[in-house]
Amino acid sequence: MVIALTGNQNCGKTTLFNALTGMNQKVGNWAGVTLEKKSGKIKGTALSLVDTPGVYSLNSFSPEEQVTRDFVKGNEAETIINVVDVTSIERGLYLTTQLLELDRKVVVALNMWDLAEKRGIEIDTEKLSQILGVEVVPISAFKEKGVKELIKAAERAQPRKGKVLYEITSEFQDEAEALASARYDFIELVKKQCFKSNKKQTVSEKVDKVLLNKWFALPIFAAIMFLVYFLSVGVVGSFTVELVETAVGNFSEFFGNWLTTIGASGWAVSLMCDGVIAGVGAVLNFVPQLIILFLLLSLLETTGYMARIAFMFDKLFKRLGLSGKSLIPFIVGTGCAVPGIMATRTVENESERLSTTVLTPFVPCSAKLPIIALFASYFFGTYSGLVSAALYFFAIVVIVLSALLLKKFIFKKGSSSFISELPDYKIPSVKYVAKDVGMKVFAFIKKAGTIILLSSLVVWFLLSFSIRFEYGVDIENSILALLGKGISWLFYPMLGAFSWEASVSALQGLIAKEQVVSSMAVIAGLSSDITEGILSSGPFAFFTGASAFAFMVFNLFSAPCFGAISAMKKELGGNKRMILAVLFQTGLAFVLSYVVFFIGTLFGG
Amino acid sequence: MENVSKILKLSQLKFGQRGRVKCLRVENKEVKQRLMDMGITRGVEVEIKKSAPFGDPVSLLLRGYKLCLRKKDLESIEVEVI
Repeated sequence: MVIALTGNQNCGKTTLFNALTGMNQKVGNWAGVTLEKKSGKIKGTALSLVDTPGVYSLNSFSPEEQVTRDFVKGNEAETIINVVDVTSIERGLYLTTQLLELDRKVVVALNMWDLAEKRGIEIDTEKLSQILGVEVVPISAFKEKGVKELIKAAERAQPRKGKVLYEITSEFQDEAEALASARYDFIELVKKQCFKSNKKQTVSEKVDKVLLNKWFALPIFAAIMFLVYFLSVGVVGSFTVELVETAVGNFSEFFGNWLTTIGASGWAVSLMCDGVIAGVGAVLNFVPQLIILFLLLSLLETTGYMARIAFMFDKLFKRLGLSGKSLIPFIVGTGCAVPGIMATRTVENESERLSTTVLTPFVPCSAKLPIIALFASYFFGTYSGLVSAALYFFAIVVIVLSALLLKKFIFKKGSSSFISELPDYKIPSVKYVAKDVGMKVFAFIKKAGTIILLSSLVVWFLLSFSIRFEYGVDIENSILALLGKGISWLFYPMLGAFSWEASVSALQGLIAKEQVVSSMAVIAGLSSDITEGILSSGPFAFFTGASAFAFMVFNLFSAPCFGAISAMKKELGGNKRMILAVLFQTGLAFVLSYVVFFIGTLFGG
Repeated sequence: MENVSKILKLSQLKFGQRGRVKCLRVENKEVKQRLMDMGITRGVEVEIKKSAPFGDPVSLLLRGYKLCLRKKDLESIEVEVI
């Protein structure tokens, strides 16, 4: 039997879903939309549970409402569990009235029961059940209480017989208004008969007095974001990345030696060490940072602060065709674009979400820092810090302009209303956050990991073999170099020279942006982790200040690494859109770098 | 003495002021439906709580929860001041 789980956003539906299904979850997509579909088996039963998007009503205007409406009306779901947050019962019951009209098997789960008791809210569940005509079960998804009773109620639910809940008065001209009013009038009656509450100013309101204070809100926000960034990219980043790199490096050496000892041929050893292990290492590099990032993000979301961020920045961002919540992916993207793109999921409106996804890779991620550092320190010496900062500002300008471009020409149909709720602050559940982070990291490793590994292997192959499939050739004779020579004309307007070395290095940025610099190092005849002396070496001596800046600009804005590209594919919903996004980003990067080079040389190289 | 209650646009209410919704003059059907779905129906009591640092959106208290609306939408809702 398939049970549909419905309810408002923030009603604890997801917590309940996790509590009921545990690890038996499958995440997919609802057909035709870029919305997540979660389904799973209820622990200890043969019952199937499908989570629907959080909605406030079934009037099908947004894709979320459409999906939920189609699903509950369709034949797949036999029973509906309607989760209602007891602390916002009036609004929650609105959806309930619509579900009850379907005359199907419905069970109402009153969630946050523990909070209700704390707040002095009393509910006569028997009376409520009587009035609604369906079973009402109090639960606390968070504490996993009442869950067994809920399942039993769902199993024995009977189709609701069409008992009319309310009458529609002819007071209104507008039918929709008449219906909405009738529903809420009914709900108010129900509330009077079944609810009692002692209202005090909630803790949330007190907290918001500070966090949303006219003067403190922005500085507090800046401080929190700095902390997130500092913890994930700064502290964890520098420490764990080195750790992982060293570990992988040692393992690679050890494994390579062993292979040679047992007689493996040269290319096989290289395949395993420089291809597979290096590829896997590239993925593992991300993981510790991702764990911290996801953890902090999950905390922001579950405590309810994320909604406040959207609230604060919405006005500004709406002008760019984005939502206040778009800020989160951008911030995360300063560490790594992959989780940044994954974070675009919190943006509800589709156009805004897609736009955010395409723009997130423009934020300079931590992998791009070595590129900036290399060129900035060589050419601009003491001003290198200034140059780096300038590039961040440049990135912001590019993002703003691109957003406006996208808004004007692509995502013309934008939503112009911000109707959302500020949920109460909650203390997050360790279990829930841990599970959330675990699932996201696992998804990343699986998805991005496969892509990164595969592409590493492909590039390894292209680098190690010549066009005649000879192994162990000089990089100049490799297939990749041939490709580099082939596209070097594209790079001429930004470099002022034909350099396959530079274009090959840029190509390697597709695997991971750090590879651009290590590729240059290898070509310059150095070991891949030494960066001094790259720019004074033969192949790269042609770089001038202008072309250096232009090359940096190109690498900053061109298509992101394969990991990010595959994340984009998932969020954009298909190959076609992904390719368009990549073309847009790369095209823009070329144009920008040409312009930069032109202006730069004009002002003195 | 006649008891005339003021009718204002919701956008004209000050922080902490309460009003009872009289009517929704929203042209866009989608937006109007969404507003009604979220609880803004004739006769409901709303209270202006605060606004975002840039003045928009605004947080309202109604039906026991906080709703955020853009100033633009507030202008199309008429209320009777309480």
